[in-house]
Parts: sequence; structure tokens; C-alpha cells
Amino acid sequence: MDPAVIEQLEQTLGTDKVLFSPIDRIAYSFDGTFEQHLPDVIVLPETNEEVSAVVRIASQYDVPVVPRGMSSGLAGGSIPTRGGIVLSLTRMNRILEIDKENMTATVEAGVITADLQAEVEKLGLFYPPDPASTKQSSIGGNVACNAGGPHCLKYGVTGDYVLGLTVVLADGRMVKTGGKAIKYVTGFNMNQFFVGSEGALGIITEAILRLIAKPPHARTALVHFPTLDNAGRTVHAVLTQGLVPATMELLDETAIECIEEAMRLGLPLDVEAILLIESDGADEESVQREIDTIANICLETGASRVDVAYDEEKRAELWRARRSVSPSLARKAPNKLGEDITVPRSEIPEAVRRIKVLSAEYGLPIVIFGHAGDGNLHPNILFDQRDPAQREKVEQIVGEIFKVALDLGGTLSGEHGIGTFKLPYMREALGQASINIQWRVKQAMDPQNILNPGKVLPEP
Amino acid sequence: MIESTAELERPAEEEALYCVRCGLCLSVCPGYRESLKETDSPRARVALVRALKEGLLEAPTDEYSDAFFRCLLCGACTFACPSGVAIDRILELTRGKLANLGLLPEVLADLDSRISQYRNISAEENDGRLIWADNLPAPPTGLDKKQAEVAYFVGCVSSFFPRSYRVPQALVQIFDRAGVDYALLGGAEWCCGYPMFINGELERARELIQHNVEAVRAMGAKKVVVTCASCYHFWKHSYPAALEVEDLGLEVQHATEFLADLLETDTLKLHEIRENVTYHDPCDLGRKGGVTEAPRRVLAQIPGLRLVEMAENRDSSHCCGGGGNLESFAPEVGQAVARNRIRQAADVGAGTLISACQQCERTLTNAARAERLRIRVKDITEVVLEALEE
Repeated sequence: MDPAVIEQLEQTLGTDKVLFSPIDRIAYSFDGTFEQHLPDVIVLPETNEEVSAVVRIASQYDVPVVPRGMSSGLAGGSIPTRGGIVLSLTRMNRILEIDKENMTATVEAGVITADLQAEVEKLGLFYPPDPASTKQSSIGGNVACNAGGPHCLKYGVTGDYVLGLTVVLADGRMVKTGGKAIKYVTGFNMNQFFVGSEGALGIITEAILRLIAKPPHARTALVHFPTLDNAGRTVHAVLTQGLVPATMELLDETAIECIEEAMRLGLPLDVEAILLIESDGADEESVQREIDTIANICLETGASRVDVAYDEEKRAELWRARRSVSPSLARKAPNKLGEDITVPRSEIPEAVRRIKVLSAEYGLPIVIFGHAGDGNLHPNILFDQRDPAQREKVEQIVGEIFKVALDLGGTLSGEHGIGTFKLPYMREALGQASINIQWRVKQAMDPQNILNPGKVLPEP
Repeated sequence: MIESTAELERPAEEEALYCVRCGLCLSVCPGYRESLKETDSPRARVALVRALKEGLLEAPTDEYSDAFFRCLLCGACTFACPSGVAIDRILELTRGKLANLGLLPEVLADLDSRISQYRNISAEENDGRLIWADNLPAPPTGLDKKQAEVAYFVGCVSSFFPRSYRVPQALVQIFDRAGVDYALLGGAEWCCGYPMFINGELERARELIQHNVEAVRAMGAKKVVVTCASCYHFWKHSYPAALEVEDLGLEVQHATEFLADLLETDTLKLHEIRENVTYHDPCDLGRKGGVTEAPRRVLAQIPGLRLVEMAENRDSSHCCGGGGNLESFAPEVGQAVARNRIRQAADVGAGTLISACQQCERTLTNAARAERLRIRVKDITEVVLEALEE
């Protein structure tokens, strides 16, 4: 990279917002995966104008710009794989407005999702999207990856809450999309254009988010299933009876074992699966009635046991356990690769069965958990990256898992995004025609290919 | 409490492999939350350890060292880590390695030299440790005792920082009212060694540790009572290992543990204090030391006192900003962290923030002033004495 870039950045932002020492470059070289690549320089802008100025410099010198929030992503999306500028949005963390009457929040991209949730809940409002990384991921990243989470079964994913965005484009211009109005059929839907774009079409700096009223009551049930098929049947039975629980989280036996080892919650170790089902709503009695009905359905469809958590502490503990699954795998093996496939809901038992066969064939443990109600599974392959043989196997397994997903009518990612990890499988997932169209969109938006290059879309 | 990772024999580089880089530690790290710069995060420090091992960095530099010493050692990351990575141990081992390589930041190396020379952190004559006892209503009974049941280990800060005299002054008055058989060590008390240990110079601290244990044994004491949370943590959790013994043959108690037992069983009359207070858990006492309930038991004994908890309490407590020798190395970081903590106390409507460590008391008092908050900061011993006096 031309050293003049750093000079220009320092002149524009001031030296304290521009980092390029070897130590800083390492600190900004990774995300929530095991991949790593050094950026040439890191900037910590605090305003839209500063972001815009950085992108203008990048464009002038033809240098990649990789937007980065908390960098907890699981697909390599914020790793600066081609060096260049890492644009950290963590210091743009102001909640600009919570509009109680219109039930909207206007926030900067670096606001931590859990912080936003806590603030709006003080006012009786609710921002439902709840990725497991809610404490260590920010709104910008959530929008750019269209993050989901357990509650998205009932409430929808991040994209469903985006009413408006402020985006810095590849030439440094700023554009605002949407607004506070709920209905907005005025031109192309530019909000959804940027949702899930992984920083490749523009840099999201602000978002107007829809809020809803906080459901004051919730009941969580922990349901034991002797077989995975039972669990799959139950999900189907509950949803087809017109019940929409807030969550239906599936954990397979290996996932249960990992949590139990780390947290000792007394989870069952003699079942193939558990479901964590939550009902919530405005009326306590109807919530109770719903969870009771669900409990009965579970027992009819083969659950061996249903425990409803009656106190908040127990409920919080169950959810803490669920959020800890992914990191708790670290004790099993030095590395894990967490996938994010989706399949049509009815195919969950079949998908799990096939993945287990892969695990046995290749001799590497695969832990499976995920959002059963959405057909979104997170198979996590456990391995040791230092062993080249294992690394090769992992690559093969990943390919096979994607094949399973596509074969069953699903796709590569439900909520993590493509990043670099899933790039090689994009053609098969989308077909060349779709890739070509998307690539033309990318070229129109970013003719120099400087915005998070080498991510999301394979280059033709 | 963080389960002891002291036995961890794995080298730091290997422990670092268990970090999955999920980033949860960033959400609890008071230093990161202030700077919002990844380099100041636990995750980055773990990555730096790996980078050196894996050749991404050739050799540690001053800047590398800076990243490891710019940390409060509050332990919040270790407690929160869902992968169970012993980050505290990684930091300890790495600081040790850096000190061996001569990369200990100068101001910290000076601190250790001062301690070696003067036996205290203040570079004062060590015999002056009991000046605080001069202007009490009556001379403390423990002043000239050679033998006693209890040895009171005052710590350097309370011995030499006039503002912190109030802590030992309060404790000895409580002791005397309760008729506790205690003795003060005076010049025979040396720095506990903790500042050296966290500077990565445990070897240098060994002489101090040895001396202190012998001095207390020479008094025939069965129990050491400590008011400083850091001295307590070090005495309790590191002294035995440093001396390579199973246990010291001495009971080590923090003053709050001693007072909780005393107030629950003794007939001391405590008067009413009508006030909303909050309790700040010192990291070395609570999360790292395992003592979170004793101070609350003490406060529960005082009639009228209403304890309102801050959201971040007990094991999840937020550092006061006074840890990790940062007051010497990077005071601006500690000051910013302290301001964040005192605001949390104001948010719950506390009129007084009570802590159980003179260091927390100092940093949070300054923070209250900097933030222009009408909130008093007191050590728990002062509050107990007030309740006895009124």
C-alpha cells in the first residue's frame, strides 16, 4: 500500500484515530473464526463525515476498505484478506434517538445489540433479533449480515426491523434509504438492498430500526427427546397447529454434552436431542396456556420429558447455556468451524442424520445445534488446525455439508453470511446467472472493487 | 469466583489456542469499553501471544509489552470466557516472560526496585508504617504487642498514603471496642509482593513473602487479617504456592470476613444509619478473591442501611480502575474506568458507595469529584466505625 494513504488518513482524521503498528495490525487481523490476515492500517472514525473521508482516500489510492464492528462474525467477513484499510465502527456507538411514539430507534452502526436492547426495554419496548453474540456484535454488522437468532422464529430477522439506513458509498458519497414510515413503497427497496450485503455495496453507518412492545410474559420449556426424529416431528406438529412459539432451539447430544461439561446444569445425557421452546406474549394466562399446549404436543409426538422453567433465574440459565454452546466447544478441540446451513423445516431430521454419517465417515466430531423452527442448523466441526490431515478433512466435510443442504432444498447460510468461508460454494448454491447479475450490481456500486473485496460474491 | 488457575501448567501459548475469538470478553473489559480499540482487549492480547508463537511477530517489543501492561488485571474476561480460557494466567505468564526479557516498562521496573530497597511502594523509611496511629483518641492496643491471636497486615497504601489512614484507623478502633487480641507489625511488615508479582517478577517478591510469613509467625498469631483487597488475594491465593507449601499454617482473612463473624456474634451495639448505599466489590476481593458475601453480611448488621446493588456486582463487578499497577503505568486508563464505575453507583441512586479496599476508595473518590457527582465513597471499616460511634 502506498504510504501516502496513511499520511492522508492522519491528516484527515488525526493521528489518534489511525493505527498501523505491528501490534495494532495483529489486533485487527481476525474475526470469530481461525482465519487471519493483516490490514495495512486501521481507522477509528467517529462520524459519518469521517467514514466518508476514509472511503474517499481509499478510492483515490485504490485500496481495499473492510468495515468492521465487533468482529465476532463466523464467516471471515471482516478479515482484511487483501490488506488495506480496516474501518472500525466501534466508536460510532451512539443511540441517536428512541422514538417511543413511533416505536423506532435510530442508532449508529457501532451500537452493541445488547446495549440497544437494554435501553429500549427500559421504555417497555423490544428489539427482538437476538444473535447468540448479542453482547459482542453491533447493529452495523447485524444489518450487514442480516443476523438472526432464536427469537427470529416468531419475530423475524434483523432485516425485518430495518426501516432506514445511512450508507457511505464506494466513492465517499452518503445516501439515506427508507425512513421512519412503516410503509415505504417508493422506488426500489434500498433498505433490503444493503441488508446482508456484508459491506460490499456500501458502509452502513446508521440505522433506523423498528421496535415493538416488549412482551411482558415468557415461559421456557426444556423438552427431552429420545430420538431426533421425535424432535423433528414435534417442531412440525407445533407449528402446523397454528402455534408460533418465540423460539424452538434444537441441541443434539454432543452439544448437550459440551454445555453440561462446561456449566453443569443437569441437562439430560441419555437423549438424542433437546428442544428449548419459549412462548411469550402480553397476557400471562395465554402464554401459560400456549406452553401447556405445546408441552402436550411434545409428549404426544415422542418427548420423554418436558420441564417448564417457572422462575426467571432458571430461564436465564437455560438461555445462557444455549448462548454458550458455540464457545464451549473450544474445550473439545483447539478449533471449530461453525456452519450455518438452512433446510426446509421438514428436512431437519434427515439433514442431521446425514451430517452424523459424515462425522462418522471422516472421524471428526460434529456438534449440531440451531434454530429448528426456522430449519437453520449450526453443525460445528471440531478439529485441530495444526494437523494438515484434519484440515483437509474439514474442507471436505464442509463441502459435503453444503451438498446436504442444497440437496435437501436449503442453502449455505441462514444468518452468518458468506464472508470468505462459503465463497467456493456460491456458484453451486445460486447458479451462474444469479452470480452474474449480482456481480453487475456490485460493479455498478463499487467499480473499483474496494469495498470488502473478495467477500460474499465470487469474482467472475 | 474465578476457579484458581494457578495450577495451570500449560504454557501461555498453548492456553491461547483455546480462544475461539468470539469477542465476549470485549463486552466485560473495562479498558476496552473505554477505548473501543481492539488492541486494548483481552482477545487481542491472547492473539498477540499466538502471533509470537506462530511467527506473525518476530520478537516482543516495547509496544508488545505495553499491550500486556495496559491492563487492570481485573479478571472480568477470565470470568466471562465461555471457552474457559485462563486469560488471567496467560497475562501473568506473559508479563513474567516480558520482565525476564527486560521489557518491563521503566516506571514499573522502578516501582519494583523501590520495593526491593525500601520494603514498601512509597520509597519511605519502612519504620514509618504506623504514623496513622499517632492521632487516634487512644493509642491502639495492638501497637506495642509482641504476641497476639491476630496479626493485622495493613498494606503499603494505608500505611503511607495519608488519605487512606482512615482504613486502619477505623479497624483498630473497632478491634479495641470488641476487645480483639491483635498486634500491628510496624516496620516488620514489608510490601506483600503483589506489585512485583503482577509486574512479572515473582522471584523478586519471594523474599518479601518469606519475610512477612515469618514476621507473623513470630507473633504467635493464628490469623492474619488484611484490609487491602490485593494484599489479601496475594496472601490467600499465592503465598502458599510461592513458598511451596500446602498451607501457611495461618488463617488469612479479609477484614470483612473477620467483621462479619464479629458483628454477627458479638454484642457490639450498632446504631442506625439511614441511607441508600451501594457496595462495590473490589476485583481482588470478589471475583478473584472469592469474598462477596462477607461485606454484605457486615452491611446487613447496620440498622437502617439500605443496600442497592449495581447491575455489575459480585463476580461481575466492574473494576474501580485502580488495579494492575495502572496507576503508575497508564493513569488515564484507570481514571476513565473509575468514572464509568462511579456513574453506575449514581445510576442506582446511592448516596454512598462503600468498598472494601483502600485503592477502590481512592480511585472512586477522585472519580466522583471528576464527574461532579454528589456521592460519598467510604471504606466498609469506616462505615462500621460510624455505626459504632453514633
